[in-house]
Amino acid sequence: MSAPTLERPAKTAAPGAPQPPGTLARLAAHPKAVLLVLAALVAVVSAAVAGSGEWPADLTVDVRTPLTDFNEWLVDNRTTHPLFLYFLLHISNTAESAVDGVFSGLESLGFLGVTVAAVLIAWYAGGAGLRKRALVTAGTALGTFGLIGLLGMWEPAMDTLSLMVVCVAVAALVGVLLGLLAGLSDRAERMLRPVFDTMQVLPAFSYLLPFVLIFGIGVPSAFVATVIYAVPPMARLTALGLRGADPAALEASASLGANAWQRLWTARLPLARKQMLLGLNQTIMMSLSMVVLATIIGAGGLGEPIYKALAVVDVGLALPPGVAIVLLAIWLDRTTAAAGERLDDPDEGVRSARTAWILRAVVVAGVAAATAVGSALGKQEWPESWVVSIADPVNDVTGWIERELSAGIPLLGGTQTWADGFAEYVLNPLRSALVGTPWWALLLVAGMIAYAVGRLRAALTVVLALGVIGAMGLWTRSMDTLSQVIAALALTLLIGFAIGVLAARVGWVERVIRPVLDTLQTMPQFVYLIPMIALFSGGRFAGVAASVLYALPAVIRITTQGIRQIDPSALEAARSLGASTGQQLRQVQLPLARPALLLAVNQGVVLVLSMVVIAGMIGGGALGVDVVKGLTKGDLALGLTAGIAIVCLGVLLDRITQPAAVRERTAR
Amino acid sequence: MKLSHQRIRTSLVAGAGALGMLALSACGAAETGKSGGSDEVTITVPSWVGAQANAEVAKVILEEELDVKKVTLKTMDEPIAWDALNSGEADAILEDWDGQPEKQKLYIDQKKSVVKGGDLGVTGHIGWFVPKYYADAHPEVLDIKTLNKVAKDFKTSESEGKGEFLGAAPSYTTYDEWLIKNHKLDFKIKETGAEAAQIKEIQKKYAAKQPFITYWWEPQWLNADIELVEVKLPEFSEGCNEPKEKTECGYANTPLQKYLNADFAKDGGDAAQFLKNFKWTTEQQNEVSKWIAKDKMSGEEAAKKWVAANKETWQAWLPKK
Amino acid sequence: MTGTDTAKTATNTAEAATGAGRTGPVFAVRDLWKVFGPRAQRIPGNPEYAGLSAGELRERTGCTAAVRDVSFEVKRGEVFVVMGLSGSGKSTLVRTLTRLIEPTSGSIAIDGEDVLAMDKNRLRELRRHQTAMVFQNFGLLPHRTVLDNVAYGLEIQGMGKAERRAKAMEVVAKVGLEGLEQRRPVQLSGGQQQRVGLARALAVDPEVLLFDEPFSALDPLIRRDMQEEVIRLHREEGRTMVFITHDLSEALRLGDRIMLMRDGGIVQLGTPEEIVANPADDYVRDFVRDVAREQVISVRRAMRQADGDEATTGAAIAPDTLVVDAIEAVARTGAHCRVVEGNRTLGVVDESQLLAVVAGLDGDAGEPRGKAVAAV
Repeated sequence: MSAPTLERPAKTAAPGAPQPPGTLARLAAHPKAVLLVLAALVAVVSAAVAGSGEWPADLTVDVRTPLTDFNEWLVDNRTTHPLFLYFLLHISNTAESAVDGVFSGLESLGFLGVTVAAVLIAWYAGGAGLRKRALVTAGTALGTFGLIGLLGMWEPAMDTLSLMVVCVAVAALVGVLLGLLAGLSDRAERMLRPVFDTMQVLPAFSYLLPFVLIFGIGVPSAFVATVIYAVPPMARLTALGLRGADPAALEASASLGANAWQRLWTARLPLARKQMLLGLNQTIMMSLSMVVLATIIGAGGLGEPIYKALAVVDVGLALPPGVAIVLLAIWLDRTTAAAGERLDDPDEGVRSARTAWILRAVVVAGVAAATAVGSALGKQEWPESWVVSIADPVNDVTGWIERELSAGIPLLGGTQTWADGFAEYVLNPLRSALVGTPWWALLLVAGMIAYAVGRLRAALTVVLALGVIGAMGLWTRSMDTLSQVIAALALTLLIGFAIGVLAARVGWVERVIRPVLDTLQTMPQFVYLIPMIALFSGGRFAGVAASVLYALPAVIRITTQGIRQIDPSALEAARSLGASTGQQLRQVQLPLARPALLLAVNQGVVLVLSMVVIAGMIGGGALGVDVVKGLTKGDLALGLTAGIAIVCLGVLLDRITQPAAVRERTAR
Repeated sequence: MKLSHQRIRTSLVAGAGALGMLALSACGAAETGKSGGSDEVTITVPSWVGAQANAEVAKVILEEELDVKKVTLKTMDEPIAWDALNSGEADAILEDWDGQPEKQKLYIDQKKSVVKGGDLGVTGHIGWFVPKYYADAHPEVLDIKTLNKVAKDFKTSESEGKGEFLGAAPSYTTYDEWLIKNHKLDFKIKETGAEAAQIKEIQKKYAAKQPFITYWWEPQWLNADIELVEVKLPEFSEGCNEPKEKTECGYANTPLQKYLNADFAKDGGDAAQFLKNFKWTTEQQNEVSKWIAKDKMSGEEAAKKWVAANKETWQAWLPKK
Repeated sequence: MTGTDTAKTATNTAEAATGAGRTGPVFAVRDLWKVFGPRAQRIPGNPEYAGLSAGELRERTGCTAAVRDVSFEVKRGEVFVVMGLSGSGKSTLVRTLTRLIEPTSGSIAIDGEDVLAMDKNRLRELRRHQTAMVFQNFGLLPHRTVLDNVAYGLEIQGMGKAERRAKAMEVVAKVGLEGLEQRRPVQLSGGQQQRVGLARALAVDPEVLLFDEPFSALDPLIRRDMQEEVIRLHREEGRTMVFITHDLSEALRLGDRIMLMRDGGIVQLGTPEEIVANPADDYVRDFVRDVAREQVISVRRAMRQADGDEATTGAAIAPDTLVVDAIEAVARTGAHCRVVEGNRTLGVVDESQLLAVVAGLDGDAGEPRGKAVAAV
């Protein structure tokens, strides 16, 4: 494209110098681009001509009848069919009694015993002794349980913890087994990947209903739903660890004549330990969020006070259980993270078996002593006089924020103004475009984008996903949701990349935002439902805002990490050539962090989609409301189809944002 | 290496399979759920405060007067509560708004696993409501026939140029969609995803004295705080909302119902009898609800306060010896 | 220093061909191919592809021949070096020896036993007891202590904890890692880590040690240390070693014989002296151009016929004496030296022969100039 310059005519005139290619030639060199442009043209023209692009009714398939039949079959056969008698109900009963067992265990320890146990376990995980890490981890545990007691959340917290213990144990076990399969076999991995994706994106709301019929209300259903939701990270990271293990070490093991099991036990699994611990950490976080959600099917625990507080629209009442959950999450996160760091720490000497036993004995003895003291004092439960109410001050603060921020800020308007503007100028045009384009033109464009970004296979997958949506008769609803998801995703990535880059370059920024990110990520979504409405009024923007808040932490973290981890020598080289900060960022850091950024996009998609249901609860409408409606009205067909449509949107967005090369690399 | 992986894989699968078989053969048939008894009673509690008031009062009386060892209040949504009643995992629903006709038919008429427990005494009423400050200035809002004249007042960024109608939460009984369509109203429903969301929105608009029109009902604790007036809809008559697509009429007054698990109703003794007898008025329920929602009492405190003050009312609910 | 070893193995040459038994070659490799790519089986031995270069082969078939029709024998007690640039197939070759990579075709025998015919159990036994390998990237297990890393091979063999640790202790001492037994690999320097790798291989007391570029990730000084260590071990134990390297000086220092590979095939196989003095083609010649020839070539190759009384005068030196050492002797006496084997004088060297070696004017090193010097 460079035009000949006056100063140096000789250069361009030089014989044999390649002529700058014309626009047509350039396009011809990129057939994918040509197709994409053509597809876009077709879409725009047909949208203008057709005006409305709804999926034709005669191309839809009736899914309602079979699902309703299935529902009735469940009701009829629940107590008689052998599948239930000899299999499914065993799962329910075992889960229930396991959770009961853990709960009565915690109960008999009393609050002193539990606190001491939590502190000692954290201390042990942190490496024991008087090291900083051990003490900080132990301190976190002490703070967590002390505060939970002070907030008056002791009993529900123990409920939640019991369910958590069982769910996490089973999810971790299942995750490791599936991870082994996916880590050792390429075929298993190819088969399991979409299953894991679905498990994470299919909203729990849409399958809780059949679960309640299959496994019974309360703990059993909550257990199964939680395990389903929490298994993927464990399995994925286990597989990743197995696949990423130092090939030289594995080869060394093989060269010494290890058989497959020896190689697995002595090399593969130990080499994957760190990843597996990270997986456990993620599994715990996922379990926690699901356990809270499971309140609506009668599972009790910390979700219950939140749910009750919602009924009276009281943020102050919802916050203590919310904070208790965040605290539990932080305690579990720091404890597992400390155990993980220990693996990396070269100063971590090897403990002799004897010392290890002594340490374990210390933990057991400490817990026993605390329990004894507690029961001697007659204080098994957290004393009521030690409970501090924070409801009123919290309500005062949120009330003030709601009043002051929603309108009347000079120049900036206010949150309500932003919400209206965003709906008017972003969401509405986007939705009109998606709904207005004929379905076949949209299929064409989406397919072409996927083809341009990835491969033929991606294009086919995308077309299939959209086809499923259409066939279920959810075209318009899905396009509405899609417009909101795209807007939320764009906003998340914009803000997330900006903050992520900033945090990567400026150390203190990261330190400051870390606790904020922790809180945003673990605070049950229910809790910030009400402030969202207060600030933005119920509506699509409130939903978008909640989704952004939820997805932001992960995007920021992955971005920061990705930029930090790039090869320092490349950056050094750029610096030595005199690159400015902006140049360093544009030319070195961002390109090299590309895999991480793409992962951030992928996680953004997953997390924004997982908020569709919550967004539906605060006025986002469309698929989110359908899922909620399906559950609360007992309409399996409605909830499940909407859930599947959400998964299809996830597939669509994933395929058109993830280039094929990256896909293959992460799969390997 | 490839081969040996395959072996591990096969072993894993085989091992899991063997374990599963072992579990099955060892355990035999599983327990299918508890049967009714009167030592322990489980009452389902949906998300709204009125229902919580019923359950908390029932719990206090059951535990203190009828010596039931343990009364569990389980928070869960309506359809799930019905399933729980069917399976015996819960014993009673104390406030049902007639929102689960299919499940009623299935469990009561076909499976006979759930039985009616009588009226709660409270009458539920659903309708369309607007704030009084707006109705005073624009009386034409009060009739569905003249509603279109003021539609533009309700326009928001969400309503696509029409008036915004605050819809019901997903689980609530509603015909608004068909009413708006069949009366050719220039309104678009904003789907509120939860009751809390709807209440918050109303509170916000009310505080700012903005116009709004909403699906609303009685009894509802918020009614003590804000003054809403009802929009006149065509009178309800039996069958006027069937099929629902043709609905033009307003909502019926629903005498709220209690339902019991069939086994519990039969074998539940005094506890079951008491729950059948439990019957109070809208005012009484609203009083307890207000203590919980407005005065921030815990459910138990509020229930005890009411029980202490209304002995003659609940005395009548106790089974005759 | 390798001169004496060369002599020792040279005497075994006659027996090498006789085949199996403890005196035969450790490894006998015949017509070995390893082809990566689609339908690799069709490539080996197919005359259609025989003449193609690596690039042409890839273009025509999509296959890469990492090892291409290779035959050689590794004699008992020798240090057999496989040398080549990266991509020459040497690392693949050493892995096919114990079937860490399955060869496409050909035959491999260890102590006369067909490796390719071994079932899984026999193959594992082979790997557990007969061979042990040292890797470029160490391949240590980061979660184990030095001691447990060294004992790893013994653990795989199923040896009890106490016994294997005791045995590992001995080996740890042998490679100079005393006092570091309880460290983790990450706490060690690169050289120390590779000592652990070496100790792990030695601990199983294998018949053959296989080295896959073990020192290329190390600093030059440490690399030299480690080479000395290998030479010392070889001198003390006389264990057969197959040593892969891309470093010519390392090959010359360690190798009794060197096999030079390029694009999967053998370019030349011979003693260091043969390779330096008598490069098989321009590729090898280019390779050895900068070698200090006087340190590799012996006087046997540099000498000329004795003229007149020269056969009886001058200092006597052995035919294996390196030219560099002969220069010292000639310079000291100022006269020629006799090359004496037993009592027989084979020839003489004086300044001009020795300088010709240093200058690369002997043999066919530079431009082929005169006739090749007689073979050994």
